[in-house]
Parts: sequence; C-alpha cells; structure tokens
Amino acid sequence: MMLAIDTATDACSVALFDGGKLVAERHEIVGRGHAEKLIPMIAELPGKGRAQGIIVDCGPGSFTGLRVGLSAARALGLGWQAQVYGYSSLALMAAMAFSDANAPGRLAVTIAGGHGEMFVQRFTRKPFAEIAPLASLTPDAAIAEIEEPLLIGNAAAELSALSGVGEARDIRPRAAETMLLPKAFRELPPSPIYGRAPDAKPPQ
Amino acid sequence: MAIILGLESSCDETAAALVTSEREILAHALAGQEEAHRPFGGVVPEIAARAHVEVMTPLVAQVFEEAELSLSDIDAVAATAGPGLIGGVMVGLMTGKGLALAGGKPLVAVNHLEGHALSPRLADPALEFPYLLLLVSGGHCQLLLVKGVGSYERLATTIDDAAGEAFDKTAKLLGLGFPGGPAVEKAAQTGDPASVPLPRPMVGRADPHFSFAGLKSAVLRARDSGHYTPEDIAASFQAATIDCLVDRTARGLASAGDITALVVAGGVASNSAIRGALRALAERNGLPFIAPPPWLCTDNAAMIAWAGVERFAADLSDPLDIPARARWPLDADAAKARGAGVKA
Repeated sequence: MMLAIDTATDACSVALFDGGKLVAERHEIVGRGHAEKLIPMIAELPGKGRAQGIIVDCGPGSFTGLRVGLSAARALGLGWQAQVYGYSSLALMAAMAFSDANAPGRLAVTIAGGHGEMFVQRFTRKPFAEIAPLASLTPDAAIAEIEEPLLIGNAAAELSALSGVGEARDIRPRAAETMLLPKAFRELPPSPIYGRAPDAKPPQ
Repeated sequence: MAIILGLESSCDETAAALVTSEREILAHALAGQEEAHRPFGGVVPEIAARAHVEVMTPLVAQVFEEAELSLSDIDAVAATAGPGLIGGVMVGLMTGKGLALAGGKPLVAVNHLEGHALSPRLADPALEFPYLLLLVSGGHCQLLLVKGVGSYERLATTIDDAAGEAFDKTAKLLGLGFPGGPAVEKAAQTGDPASVPLPRPMVGRADPHFSFAGLKSAVLRARDSGHYTPEDIAASFQAATIDCLVDRTARGLASAGDITALVVAGGVASNSAIRGALRALAERNGLPFIAPPPWLCTDNAAMIAWAGVERFAADLSDPLDIPARARWPLDADAAKARGAGVKA
C-alpha cells in the first residue's frame, strides 16, 4: 500500500494505492483547515490509511500546508516504519495537465508565490522532464521566461492576461493523481521545497 | 504505570521526551535554534517554523531509541497544541496526531502553559494542589492559582511585556547577545545593582498585574545617557525586575488563600538571582519554595509529557481534529487585565 498526502494548496487531499492502483481517496477544499482535517481524512481510508510507503507534496505552495503535510507524513512513516518520499507540487500539476491527450508537448506551471512574485517551472511532455529549475519571479520576469503555449496553476490566468499569449488552465494538485508522476519524480527527500529564502533578513 | 511521549515546538526549541507516571524521565531530547536566531537578536517565527519540521521526527526516533522502546510500548502521545508561534505548534501537533493514528494511541493536546504549571509536580512528588505558581518566561508573566489538573485561576498577568521579553530586549539594547536571559544574568554578576536608577513598574499598586515595558524604556535611556557600563545597567535591570516579581508575588500570596507552596516555573525561573529572591519571599511567608531544575524551567518536552501523564490519568484525551491555537489562556474566565490584550 502507498499513501499520498497533498496539503500544498487550499485542498486537503489524500489517496491510498495498492500496486499503483487507486483504492480510495479523500479530497476536500479546506482553505486553511489542513491541520484539523488531514489526520481524520487519513483515518477514514481503508485500514486507517496504513501503508508501507508514503509520498507527500513538498511544495512549493502554502507555507503552513506544506509543514502540516510533511510533519504528518514523517510521523506516520516513523509510526508505521514506512518509507517517506516527497514530490514537487509543480511536477504533479504538470503531469496532471499532460494526462490530457490534447495537451501540448510543453507547458509552464505558475502558482502564486510571496511578495507579488510567482513560482514558475516549465516542463516537457515526452520525456516528462523539467526544462529549467524552479524559480520565483515577478510577473514581468515570468512573461519573459515563458514561451510555452499552455500555462497551468493558480497564477496562469493572471499571467496569460498580462502577456496576451498562452492558454491558461487552473489545476490543483490532487493526491489521487500522484501515480501520473514518473517514479523518479516521487522519490524526493521529504523536505519542504519553499522556493524562496526566508523573508526575515538579519539586521545589518 | 503509564508511559507518555511528549512533543514540544511552540517557540524556538524542538523537543521530545518519554516520561512515566512514576516520574521517571526515560529519555529526553532537545534541539535549540539559538544559532539560527542569534543574528536577529530574537526568535523569528518564520525561521523557527522552518527549523521545527526538519528535526521533530528525528528527535522522536532518538528518544525511542534511547529508552529502547517503540510506539507500541507507550500509552498516549502528548503534544503542545498552543499557545505559541502557530507555525511551530503545528509541527509538533501534527507529528503527535500522526503518531497517535499510526500507533492507535490516544492524543493528549497539552496547553504549553499547563506544561509549565504542572512541571514542578514532575520534579517534586510531594507537591500537592493548590499552589501559587509564578510563571515567568519569554512569552508570559502570570500568577496562577493551580487548583488541580485543568483547574487554574489567573490572579495576575502582564499588561505589556513578559519578564523574559524584557530580559531579551535588555540584552539586545546592551549588545549582550541572544538568548538574553543568561546573557543579562552573566553581565549582572560583575555590575553594581544600585548604580542605575530604574523604575519598578506596578510595585506597591493594589492592582495585581505586572508591567515591564517602562523598565525596558528606562534601560534604553540609561544606555543612551552614556553614563553607565552595560554590566551596571544589566545588574540594575535585574534588581528592578526582581523587585517587581517579588512585590507582585507577595501580593498574590496575600490573596491566594490556603496554599501548599510557592512555585516558580518558566524560562526566567532558571535565573538564580530571581530564584533566590523568591525563595526568601516564600520563607518569610512560611511556605515551601519549589522550583524545577533550570533545564525543566526552560521549554522542554518532559513537562509536556508530564502534563500528558496527569491528563491521561484524569481520563482526558483529545480528538484528532483538534486545532493548533496561537492563543490559549489557561484560565479562560480571567478578567481582561487593563492595558493587556496581547498576552494569552
């Protein structure tokens, strides 16, 4: 059994897989309520979600949501003696978009970041791979960077409107879709991918 | 005998401990973040939150290994659920919930202040309810009548800064380093406590509360005057703080009714000059003075595990959807102190 946990956005999303096949899922838009909802949702899964492997969304995404999901995943891993791995929220969104047969060969994932910036990462479909590392960019820098015909994520519409090019589609990561990720993309260390350095800077 | 795992992450310490109902501390582990916060001269919530998530589960694994126990051997998981820096509280609470689900164990959501309030009973088996507790830390300064597990009456609180906050700010103003409590105490040892005239806010007032903001401002003025050494200011500041704590605690003793002891807990209670002055006050009032050892006064997980022991014994446990709380007063019925509104 494999348990997937995704709390990187306003969704609280969990899924249980057996041999890569979806057994059960719980998916709810909770806003900021991940800390209350997550464990009861896992407990509702068959066998209370017990698994030999756990994969968890490491971000980028909600600063609090990430740490809720990671803390829970690591604790469950310790308690069940299960392996815990991470995946990137942006990679999952890209894989979900590419599962549409009509999707183009390249796309850019853009989600809202901090201080007016957005997280941007571009992917190719075949083979599934990132074109460039994750970056936190201003909208102008993002427009200059992106040349893909499809923009996905919660900042896609804004960016597409600003640049006047590209189709925009909002996609939210969902635990039940994690098997769309190639295996290497769901074997990251279970540590947060914040995508930015801390805002706090030591006084000079 | 019950064995409880305790988890703490409400400020800048990440900690795990295994404690038995027989008061045996089977293992305790703590990862401080002083290095990460030192450049800022104070705890930065965002930095703290980032650090907690990396070290919490390794600490839990470490205490199980040290005690040669596994999750199946314990009776319940106790985790701080507030009050504190919410990003940190969340990490310990989610770890606790995950372990509770994985092990099929009850979760005990512990109020961090209750951890401090009951920790003297971990250190001293003879301590009986009710006792008067002076809880002094970086986030709190309260006099609590501890009547039983879960039964607290707040007699006084600070209307502005906590005592530990005043120590930290004084250390920062004087360039003594972080954390401020030990730094000020060390500097004070070579200073003259009578050298700088500093105010004693609230001393002698009928109103029961504490105040430290004016004292901090006076420290700033003394520094800027250029007339005093940092050591003299530190010693005078510490003396003024002690006068405030002793006067307010004496007033609390007078209104507390029959109590078994005067007890002090919280990080500031690790200051030996403050302990000495409170011990003398207790003796003048014919009361035993109880102070947990300094390591148990500062934030730790043994006190959370012990609060878990006490609550578990009273058949108190919590559902897995319990929220983390930034604010969570121990005595929800306490009247709001005039001028207050920022402290739990």
